[in-house]
Amino acid sequence: MTLALAARIARREMRGGLGGFTVFLLCLMLGVAAIAAVGTVRSAIEVAIRDQGAVLLGGDAEMSFTYRYASEAERAFMERRAERVAEVVDFRSMAVAGEGETAERALTQVKGVDDAYPLTGRLVLDPDMPPAEALADVDGVPGAVLDPVLADRLGLAVGDRFRLGLKEFRVAARLLREPDGATSGFTFGPRSIVRSEALAGSGLLEPGSLFDTHYRLLLPAGSDLDALKREAEAAFRDTGLRWRDARRGAPGMQRFVERMGSFLVLVGLAGLAVGGVGIGAAVTSYLEGRVETMAALKALGAESRMIFAVYLVQIGMLAGIGIALGLALGAALPVLAGPLIAARLPIPVEIVVAWRPLAEAGVYGALAAALFALWPLARTREVKAAALFRDLGPGRRQWPGWRLGLVLAAIAGLLVAVATSLSGVPTLALWTLGGVATALVVLALAAFALSRIARRMGKRARGRPALRLALSAIGGPREEARAVVLSLGLGLSVLAAVGQIDANLRGAIAEDLPEVAPSYFFVDIQPDQIEGFRARLADDRAVTRVEAAPMLRGVVTEINGRDAREVAGDHWVVRGDRGLTYAAVPPEGTKVVAGAWWPEDYAGPPQMSFAREEAAEMGLRLGDRVTVNVLGRDIEAGITSFREVDFGTGGIGFVMSMNPAALAGAPHSWIATVYADPTAEAAILRDLASAYPNITAIRVRDVVDRVSEALAAIARATAIAAGVTLLTGVVVLIGAAAAGERARIFEAAVLKTLGATRGLVLRSFALRSALMGAAAGLVAVGFGAGAGWAVMVFVMEGAFRFEPVSAVAIVFGGALATLAAGLLFALRPLAARPAQVLRARD
Amino acid sequence: MSETILKMEAARLVLEGNAGPLEILRGVTLSVARGESLGLVGPSGSGKSSLLMLMGGLERATSGRVEALGQDLTAMDEDQLARFRRGNMGIVFQSFHLIPTMTALENVAIPLELAGKRDAFGRAAAELEAMGLGARMDHYPAQLSGGEQQRVALARAAAPRPAIFLADEPTGNLDGATGEAIMELLFGLRDRHGATLILVTHAPELAARCDRVVRLLDGRIAGEELARKVAE
Repeated sequence: MTLALAARIARREMRGGLGGFTVFLLCLMLGVAAIAAVGTVRSAIEVAIRDQGAVLLGGDAEMSFTYRYASEAERAFMERRAERVAEVVDFRSMAVAGEGETAERALTQVKGVDDAYPLTGRLVLDPDMPPAEALADVDGVPGAVLDPVLADRLGLAVGDRFRLGLKEFRVAARLLREPDGATSGFTFGPRSIVRSEALAGSGLLEPGSLFDTHYRLLLPAGSDLDALKREAEAAFRDTGLRWRDARRGAPGMQRFVERMGSFLVLVGLAGLAVGGVGIGAAVTSYLEGRVETMAALKALGAESRMIFAVYLVQIGMLAGIGIALGLALGAALPVLAGPLIAARLPIPVEIVVAWRPLAEAGVYGALAAALFALWPLARTREVKAAALFRDLGPGRRQWPGWRLGLVLAAIAGLLVAVATSLSGVPTLALWTLGGVATALVVLALAAFALSRIARRMGKRARGRPALRLALSAIGGPREEARAVVLSLGLGLSVLAAVGQIDANLRGAIAEDLPEVAPSYFFVDIQPDQIEGFRARLADDRAVTRVEAAPMLRGVVTEINGRDAREVAGDHWVVRGDRGLTYAAVPPEGTKVVAGAWWPEDYAGPPQMSFAREEAAEMGLRLGDRVTVNVLGRDIEAGITSFREVDFGTGGIGFVMSMNPAALAGAPHSWIATVYADPTAEAAILRDLASAYPNITAIRVRDVVDRVSEALAAIARATAIAAGVTLLTGVVVLIGAAAAGERARIFEAAVLKTLGATRGLVLRSFALRSALMGAAAGLVAVGFGAGAGWAVMVFVMEGAFRFEPVSAVAIVFGGALATLAAGLLFALRPLAARPAQVLRARD
Repeated sequence: MSETILKMEAARLVLEGNAGPLEILRGVTLSVARGESLGLVGPSGSGKSSLLMLMGGLERATSGRVEALGQDLTAMDEDQLARFRRGNMGIVFQSFHLIPTMTALENVAIPLELAGKRDAFGRAAAELEAMGLGARMDHYPAQLSGGEQQRVALARAAAPRPAIFLADEPTGNLDGATGEAIMELLFGLRDRHGATLILVTHAPELAARCDRVVRLLDGRIAGEELARKVAE
């Protein structure tokens, strides 16, 4: 009954239109739209990955090995179960075009394929032709298809020739789309594809070379992937076999999309929190204008509960409209921008409206609206009928009573629960929401402090009317300062945090690393080449340092006889295969921190020196036994020492080093790092690559560029999401400025009456806005620096350096945005005639 | 003949309303002598307040001439008018019009600050003390009663020692006793500073305290009489 009557009264109340609710609706709409849009794109990519699992993977299932081809038994296993099997060998190499001094070299990720490739999907080539035709021999020269980036870097056109190792190839076509390309993950060089058979005699796939083999299986319809996986893993346990199947065809990419999507949704939540400030302010301002109605209702016998219900219904209906608008916008934008977004993705994605991300965004919107609107709504209960004949207002802002407090806490708890469970990254979600809540509290305190400081400073500014008027307004009883600092401050805080983290990451990669990092990594140096390799560099005065070490790869399978994953959990050392080296004496610079290195001529049971930090993380102690599977052979070694290994310098670092006898006979190659003067880099590469065509050189600067590019893309996506937050902040800011316009018109009229010129009034308004904006910016920079520090130190485990440029930009941006909004709404106050304004108030 | 401090010649005021132009004042000619107190009376809508606004330069005459202290207000732009008001005019409104974001003391100090007076706050404080508001200086308008607010407004008008006081129904929003006290203060101020007072009022007994009373009707001066007669 109460609710029905309340709804009736609410409907009548809303006849006045939604004019006063623009900010409310915009805030809710923007926040919900951002989350819905991110969710829609993420869902489309996830659907694409799931539906095209087999295409992305290159088959229904895949068995991969590092360093070796499948054994007879493994091949027999695959052929027995699959309708067709395709073999792919994947490795890094140098592609060389031209001869002698003018030869061009570029790093490439080579894929050697057989006739069955691709089992699924289609290779798109320019000019268009079947893969068999492209890779076939012409005049005894095998064909190759190259990523256009690689072809352009080497200046190669279709029909030109180039070399991989010792073998010559012909460019048959440019590679436009590689169906299984997205699963390769992060690669250092652009792709080239040749026939595996054509690699014979190239000198590239020698024993000990670094390569992976992938066997793609096309299975009979209705095959039980789970059963097959269990069977394969049982049969070939501890051989380094890696299993993947179409259910998660691109796990790396899927994980990235999930993480990135969740992260952007969380940034969107920050935007919704900014919108929440606007929602709260809009509701407060609306209700203040309704005090007379409320008082009249009370005078006519309405209870507090009824009045609360009337306005709850109104705000609820408006929230529904705002959320619906947000969902419509959030669903429409990605669909409209679909072709643009899809063009930037590595896999074909069709962006369509999906209900789940929309439902998620709707829930977030409803919870945020409730959280921020309920408090001001609850104050309607305090309105007294006496407000009819005395200007009482809806009462001073007070802390909510225990009942409302409980409700608010429950809503906040629900929001946290939803975010942590839906985002898939609960820890990050908790940190983000905690960060937003902290930021809101800090900003509210900052606004309070600003107000107090302004009041105090106002006394010192006596005699400077423009400044004093500005300070009085900031320090006065109206809550403009709080609205501005909260709304703009939160948006700027997110932007400041993104700016600080981005600048720090870029700085760490682009500046810090190259100071200590080598010029080149060389891999795949055969044991019989290492002496010649060293000799070439020994006489070169431009070379400051050369480090070389033998390298094998192995999988840590057991620790003290137990499954390694059971002991060390999901530690990166036990995930997949790791580099492994051997040495008779500790290499130069080795710091053994516990135990002792084996004697130089030691030939007893295998011994191992383990990296100290990783050992501590995995809970290893001296005397523990670690089993490593190297090329199918299990080697169990006792840990006899721990040593410091710094992976941050870019030099050679191995978690595990063994005594030479332990690895005797295992095929391996050497890796080397060369520290040289940049001007000599080209000559070193030319000489070494000419003498040893099988060796692959990786220029560290190129790797840094690749990583920086990847980071820049992530930073761009984040900045866009943060931009929405800021946009919401600006809407709230404009709302606050608009809400304050009436008051400013009145102030300007009184000031003019008392003898203030328009210039003085304008100066005072401008100062007021700029001061509040700058204060919001300052708090944002402080908060951004705090968040940046936390991320750099705890997540990235690096050092934090305060980045002043983005900080100054944030403070200036804050001041300018507020100034612009303030001045926009200063025009009417300045133009208004005092007599009209004051008469209207009498 | 004492010196004329305020003079109006055929002053007209036409305002644009929703229903078209509205002629508020239809050619008012009037002069006020220095030190004189003048009551403006008349029914609602007769143009009393508008006439007062023209005198204060808060409203611009559509035609005619308004002169105060020998200066032509109709020839001044808005900023010149604002500067002219500093120190020359003290205006009191029915609704007080205090600035809500400022304390009582700050409200009173503004005109002095605007006029560049050195001891603005000292003088403002003294003015508030004189109004019996010594204990209320740091209160915001919302924390003051109506009578207190009007006393702050009076203090604000009086602080720069203006030559002319303009008061627009200053007791209209106050109860009888409070209104009486405010009028005592207003006339006291005028007597102490020898200022000219122009008072818009509905109350015959207040008008009777003025030296002269002008009655307005439909935007025109309908009659002028000595105050005693009004009271009778």
